[in-house]
Amino acid sequence: MEKAKPSVIGSYPLIIDNMELMNAYFNQTSFSWDKYIKSAVDDMINSGIEMISDGQTRDSFVNIFTRKLKGCRIRDRTEIIDNIQYNGPITIEDQKYVRRLIPKEIKLIGVITGPYTLMKSSVDLFYKDEKKVAYDFAYALKNEIQILQSYVDMISIDEPFFSMGIPEYGNELIKILTNDINCPTRLHVCGDISKVIPDILDMPVDILSHEFKASPKLFDAFAQYDVTKDICLGCVQSDNIRIESVDEIKEHIKKGIDIFNGKITQIAPDCGQRLLPRDLAFQKLKNLVKAGEEIYG
Amino acid sequence: MFSFTKNQEILEISGIKIGGQPGIYPTVLFGGLFFRGEPNFQNAKQQIDNMMNLSNRLGNPAIPDFFIQKEEYVEKIVNFIKENIPEKSPFSIDIIDPSLKIKTLEFLDKKNLLSRTIYNSIHVGIKDEEYNALKKYTPEMAIIVAFNPKDKSPDGKIEVLQNGAHLIDTGLLDIAKNIGIKKILIDTAAMAPGDNSGASIAAIPVIKEEYGFPTGCAIHNVVEKSKWLKDFETARKSVDASSNINIPLFGGDFAIFGPMNNAELVFPIIAWQDILISEYAESYFGITPDSSHPRRKLF
Repeated sequence: MEKAKPSVIGSYPLIIDNMELMNAYFNQTSFSWDKYIKSAVDDMINSGIEMISDGQTRDSFVNIFTRKLKGCRIRDRTEIIDNIQYNGPITIEDQKYVRRLIPKEIKLIGVITGPYTLMKSSVDLFYKDEKKVAYDFAYALKNEIQILQSYVDMISIDEPFFSMGIPEYGNELIKILTNDINCPTRLHVCGDISKVIPDILDMPVDILSHEFKASPKLFDAFAQYDVTKDICLGCVQSDNIRIESVDEIKEHIKKGIDIFNGKITQIAPDCGQRLLPRDLAFQKLKNLVKAGEEIYG
Repeated sequence: MFSFTKNQEILEISGIKIGGQPGIYPTVLFGGLFFRGEPNFQNAKQQIDNMMNLSNRLGNPAIPDFFIQKEEYVEKIVNFIKENIPEKSPFSIDIIDPSLKIKTLEFLDKKNLLSRTIYNSIHVGIKDEEYNALKKYTPEMAIIVAFNPKDKSPDGKIEVLQNGAHLIDTGLLDIAKNIGIKKILIDTAAMAPGDNSGASIAAIPVIKEEYGFPTGCAIHNVVEKSKWLKDFETARKSVDASSNINIPLFGGDFAIFGPMNNAELVFPIIAWQDILISEYAESYFGITPDSSHPRRKLF
């Protein structure tokens, strides 16, 4: 059985020293965010994770993108006030920085928040047409992905809103992102996706990533289908401070192997870990890695 | 030319009014006292008297801004304020170190000065200790610095006021309100050239239209950071002083103009600008200037 690589979904917790940011302002000196990215990357590598992200430390997973897209402005939520357009690289410099930090054997994930989720998370003051908003987000994100693919080993598209229902144009949106992309692609949809599994299985991506630990009923739901895509198995909860033991994670992975056979190519937390305390997030990753080692050798 | 649709708050502290629609009240000018080492209070008194004379002649209210950097000077500076700033005049304390802020609040309370204090400033660096001290020793007025390290545009400044830009749990406006500070000034956080420096001016009408709070900034900081100007030493001081006209021109209410010894340049420039604005505000919007306005004082 091929080893499932220990991986992450995207975000990682960090503690920001706001006073340090203010001192840079008062002294009118430049401030680099690199140390926060490095702290997330170091934790992932030190825990033994083999496919890491940049930790999405700069902002919430929506604002990272909408802050830099034309036509969007940030208020309590993102507001769409004009045509959505790509306005230049969003995550590329951070990925280049991470690439310089990590050893060659560690793989890097370029995380993209999907167009449907960006649309659902925004307040549309301009288009008055959800579908058009989602498509324009998709076209804008495609520009980012086209650049990103040169710097990462996999593109992971984060679409949590698909768990609430996938629109008839959902597949087309993902196709816009993944078409003509040379590196592997992963679709992460957290939450209870049992009602949308047929649509998920049809998505034009290589790997499907879901929250199997918080929603174990997904095992039974997936068992009813012929799964041909690779699976990233969510193995530790991201919304619960209880640390799963190595044995508990091993049991969980074994259950996954029973359902998916050799299709599990990645094991990961259920979702981004931003909301966990940092020490707990780290311990969960360590236990995940250990469980993977004991199963896959 | 600006007239805002949002109701504009007019705040008063020790008889000085700040805010409102452009053209009613004169621009309030904060002059800084930056003590290097042991404070020279004789020189400070001279500078304050000079600034107050200019204020009386021209009409623009003057507020001394005390920059406090060391713990050993806190009590001395507060005593100086108590003894030398006229009882009916406000002042601001400008401190970066949170522990010094707390200590200064305690002394201001001891000396019964909080009702005349403008607290400079509340920002995303606030922690529980400072928050609790402000709840206990609440100043009459506070300046909120709308600095958002994630987004230095006017939208970013609104974001940090409204929700803290995910750097703190609530927006800066809510923090000030929860503390119990009823009189809020917004500083639009001037940045260095090349780092969205123009946004601090562009943000003035945006923030006034969004919230109606008196708004201004320390635009002279941008001049200080314009290295190329060092080749034009004669012009440098004029550029520094005249940079402040951008604030009233964009509808702003106050300027933190830097060292108080620049007052002789800054006050006439701002009085001139206020007159210009008042003339068009009255002819176009029918806004008559207050009796304290330079246009009333000088004509």
